[in-house]
Amino acid sequence: MKYLAQDPTLANFGHDVWWLVLIKVVAVFALLLVLTLFTIMYERKVVARMAVRPGPNQVGPNGWLQSLMDGMKLPFKEEIIPITADKVVYFLAPVIAGTCAFITFAVIPFGPMVSIFGHRTPLQLTDVPVAVLVILAATSMSVYGIVLSGWASGSTYPLLGGLRSSAQMISYEVAMGLSIVAVFMTAGTMSTSGIVHAQAGGAQANWDIFGWHPQAPSWYAIVTLPSFVIYAISAVGETNRAPFDLPEAESELVGGYLTEYSSFKFAMFYLAEYIAMINVSAVGATLFLGGWRVPWPLSLIDHGVLNHSWFGLIWFLGKVLIFLFGFIWLRATLPRLRYDQFMRLGWKVLLPANLVWILILAGIKTTQRTPTGNTRWFVIAGVVVVALIAVFLWPEKKGPEAPSTEQLEEQLAQLPEGSFPLPPLDLQVPPSPRLQRLTGQREPATVGGGTDEKEN
Amino acid sequence: MSHSILAAAAGQMGTGEKVFFWIFGPLALIGAIGMVWARNAVHSALFLVLTMLSLGVFYVLQAGPFIGMVQIIVYTGAIMMLFLFVLMLVGRDSSDALIETLRGQRTAAILIGLGFAGLVCTAIARAMGSVSAKGLDAANQANGGNVQGIAALLFTKYVFAFEVTSALLITAAVGAMILAHVERRRENRLSQVDLMKARFAPGNYPGPKPGPGVYATSDSVATPALLPDGTFADRSVSKILPTRELSGAESAPKGTER
Amino acid sequence: MTIAQDALQLPHLNYGALAPMLILFGAAAVGVLIEAFVPRRSRYALQLVLGLGALVAALIVVITESGTRELTAGAAIALDGPALFLQGSLAALGIVALLLIAERTLEPGGPFVAAAAVTAGTEEDRTQAAREDAGTEVYPLLLFALGGMMLFVSANDLLTMFVALEVFSLPLYLMCGLARRRRLLSQESAMKYFLLGSFASAFFLFGIAMLYGFSGQISFAGIHSAIQTSTQSTTLLYIGLALVALGLLFKAAAAPFHVWIPDVYQGAPTPITAFMSACTKVAAFGALIRVLYVAFQGTDWDFRPVIGAIAVLTMLVGSILSVTQTDIKRLLAYSSIANAGYILVGVLGLSKDGLSSTLFYLVTYGFTVIAAFGVVTLVRDADGEATHLSRWAGLGRRSPLYAGLFTFLMLAFAGIPLTSGFTGKFAVFAAAIGGGQSWLVVFGVVSSMILAFPYLRVVVMMWLSEPGESTPTVSIPGALTSATLAIGGLATLVLGVVPAPLLDLTNHAAQFIR
Repeated sequence: MKYLAQDPTLANFGHDVWWLVLIKVVAVFALLLVLTLFTIMYERKVVARMAVRPGPNQVGPNGWLQSLMDGMKLPFKEEIIPITADKVVYFLAPVIAGTCAFITFAVIPFGPMVSIFGHRTPLQLTDVPVAVLVILAATSMSVYGIVLSGWASGSTYPLLGGLRSSAQMISYEVAMGLSIVAVFMTAGTMSTSGIVHAQAGGAQANWDIFGWHPQAPSWYAIVTLPSFVIYAISAVGETNRAPFDLPEAESELVGGYLTEYSSFKFAMFYLAEYIAMINVSAVGATLFLGGWRVPWPLSLIDHGVLNHSWFGLIWFLGKVLIFLFGFIWLRATLPRLRYDQFMRLGWKVLLPANLVWILILAGIKTTQRTPTGNTRWFVIAGVVVVALIAVFLWPEKKGPEAPSTEQLEEQLAQLPEGSFPLPPLDLQVPPSPRLQRLTGQREPATVGGGTDEKEN
Repeated sequence: MSHSILAAAAGQMGTGEKVFFWIFGPLALIGAIGMVWARNAVHSALFLVLTMLSLGVFYVLQAGPFIGMVQIIVYTGAIMMLFLFVLMLVGRDSSDALIETLRGQRTAAILIGLGFAGLVCTAIARAMGSVSAKGLDAANQANGGNVQGIAALLFTKYVFAFEVTSALLITAAVGAMILAHVERRRENRLSQVDLMKARFAPGNYPGPKPGPGVYATSDSVATPALLPDGTFADRSVSKILPTRELSGAESAPKGTER
Repeated sequence: MTIAQDALQLPHLNYGALAPMLILFGAAAVGVLIEAFVPRRSRYALQLVLGLGALVAALIVVITESGTRELTAGAAIALDGPALFLQGSLAALGIVALLLIAERTLEPGGPFVAAAAVTAGTEEDRTQAAREDAGTEVYPLLLFALGGMMLFVSANDLLTMFVALEVFSLPLYLMCGLARRRRLLSQESAMKYFLLGSFASAFFLFGIAMLYGFSGQISFAGIHSAIQTSTQSTTLLYIGLALVALGLLFKAAAAPFHVWIPDVYQGAPTPITAFMSACTKVAAFGALIRVLYVAFQGTDWDFRPVIGAIAVLTMLVGSILSVTQTDIKRLLAYSSIANAGYILVGVLGLSKDGLSSTLFYLVTYGFTVIAAFGVVTLVRDADGEATHLSRWAGLGRRSPLYAGLFTFLMLAFAGIPLTSGFTGKFAVFAAAIGGGQSWLVVFGVVSSMILAFPYLRVVVMMWLSEPGESTPTVSIPGALTSATLAIGGLATLVLGVVPAPLLDLTNHAAQFIR
């Protein structure tokens, strides 16, 4: 028997009965809440393991209910609203942040066509021809939550945090949007189910190496690798996560935009932040890691039986968790960037690199469509040669020459009266007596038990 | 691509479309009026965001999902965000000046604006009677989809206009650089060595400045620290802060003595 | 993937005929790269050579392509007689304006500010005003503006026309704010121009939407055929026509939409004012005649009285208000408003004569006005240009040559025979009478007589007053300004004495294709 995962197309959407839609909505909502609670614990556990400590281990089995308890506690805490706050906007900001966070999952595919209570339906809430743009729109709207919370708090640190984050998120949204362009170009569609379908792979290349038609890799993480790298970096910037968590840099801005928020509103922001992380992971998995499709070696088993119906959910969630692990790993490892360095990375590195890559990709796509084989190779060779020449001829930066001792002495002589005292240039620092004692006491190491190597 | 909601049937509205129109139509109007009426600039901007969002929904309803989403991403997500950015930098308390430089200008503007709106609206309303709506179905079908249809137009019929738009973008970028970027000239640029020399020059104290005073009664940044002899340390308070005496209520114990 | 990628065929592009625009846009892009990568000291020469080279090349290409009559780029661009003639005149006027812009001997660093981002009036601003370097971004901006203008006069649908409108407007807004002296005035003028220009663009766009609602098309040919055949209510058509015309008349500086002109002309750096008064006028009227003649030919009975009224209002407002002016730049601004009225009279001839006389007038006026503003740049004191009229008293004694030239230009504006001003006015009035619009000519002659008064007042003031203490000296112009003045003066004279070749050329070119 041959199992073939039936890929949904856009025509499969919009025909569900109302209770099925309701079930899907509630399921997605519940999944996001559970994933958030899980991610918080996941993060705390992984970071703890990396720091060689147990992490939370008191509430529930092995401490895994800690985030649930925290979440239940938060709404019952006292709510403090600053008197300078703009009440309406102060209330609106967490609502916007929370709402926008949930939108993205409406167009994320979890699996192929499945049968739910006898209805054949795609394992996805809905899909539209411009699904990825819906995701981008939701992320761009979610910036409002942060910016408005910073402004409406009527306090300095939140305002600065809000300004920072708006600049940061807009900058990295540009890089993110451009990195997705390569996916559009390769997949030829903007619908998420279509993009997953386009990553089905198995297509043999139309070019050959000595008669061998290699199987083209199907994941866009491989096919459009630069885009994937840029997406991954900008996803971290977009979600305000370490090492790019400048809007809430506690050493500079106390708590950033949510300094003045407490109780349930704070919980909304917290929720939105983690859902945003899950969102970009899910989008990354969908656009670059083949979505709900089973990864390569497993996909060979029995003509892809593991793609069939509800299996998709397993692979999808697995890929999302791997993505999330990347986020947590970064947080546990890297220190925070300085703000100007961070913006420079976004505008001066990611953006131009992205544009050049799109240009190259467009060139590749155009040459692929031209029928003659030889001109194509000439063009590619020409591009490579030009690139190499450019690399070789790139002027090297000359560092300033170190001043000679005479020059230094001259400069010293010119110092005005009352300057900060400087040590003499020929100062010989005497060896510390303590250091001497240490070296004297240390015994030479015996290596390999040999005695004839002993010389000092 | 035959979504019941997305499809705008020729000449008539589906129920879903009607419902959404009567929800978002008034919202768009409220946003537009609120934008003009709001005293606070940030509220004004937010009302405008509401209008733009509603417009984006309209586009989607009228079978133009691409332009609808782009409207939301570009206008509300980027442009209005930059507006807000500037407004926030300007400050929340600054409201528009209420003094009219030209007398009667405001009344005249309102009257003429209403007159113009009335004229255009009645004219369009009258003209609409004879217009037979076509909808986008045929155009969307022609190239296999809304996005593909727009792409086909951009790269065939309007290819020159599309390419020339790049000139517009370059001009905008150059303009932004001219008007906002102050190029630091080489002679004004201080190297690290220069900075260090200035730091250790006589008259400058190379160490960090002392922090403000922290007392039981006040820990404001405007409170100077005390030197060992009991005098105020001038350097402990930033020059841009206004110096002020603490009021009686502020300097009184705050109930912490219990 | 349902789209048939191979089915999309790029429309035929006649690169030869599009070359003038492509050259200008390409040179502008190279100019931006020069700004980015070339050291500051060598930018000026490079930019000047690049700009002049591009404009001369564009002019040559226009001349070699002068026989082209075709629609290209998917019928989005019409390269017919008027389009090529206007493109050629834009290139020629652009060269002359560029010479004026590039002048650097009159004051150290030239008329443009070195770093426009420095806040006006600060310490840093004063130091940079004393320095002898200047920003060179104005050259690529000028090329972008000229490229956009060339597209504007040859656009064959409203969308392309709108894009072109924005492409040439944005550089103009920027250039207005780059004056080295009186920077706040300059920035204010740029701001005013930007805001009002944006409103006008918005109206234009709104009008396009209305016209699309009426005809279902945005190409001029489509609108034309819809006017002939459509059975719909014409209300949308008239709203659309009114709004599109509003956008164009704003750029052309016709009367109710003229209020920005005096402030912007006064505040902008004088070479930019010269460029705007010549080239923007060419572009705006080029587009206006194309819209009226090609798209709305069937409705001339409807728009003629309205635009005629606007023409009359424009002429009267321009001439009457210029009488009261005390600043030479504002005087020239109001005179340019009045001249827009005269050109509108020619446009309303609605005939081949009307078209050719409009083309002729645009060229003659352009050369004269650039030369006039060129003289304005010469009259200066320690604070820069001395533009108040009282300062010009007795200038004829101080510097007879330039005062004489300015007198000649003023006489040309006033329409005295043997100047190009006379032939131009004669042509447009004759075309209007030929088109049965004698009432416009009556108003035109009356307003010309009013307008002669301020011109002659300047002349009298220069020659018959004693030079006072505050009369500034006339600087010795450098080679570039001298070239501008010579070309402008000669064109004014030659086109007044032997106008026949240019008239023949415009007659030959005056045929739109649809």
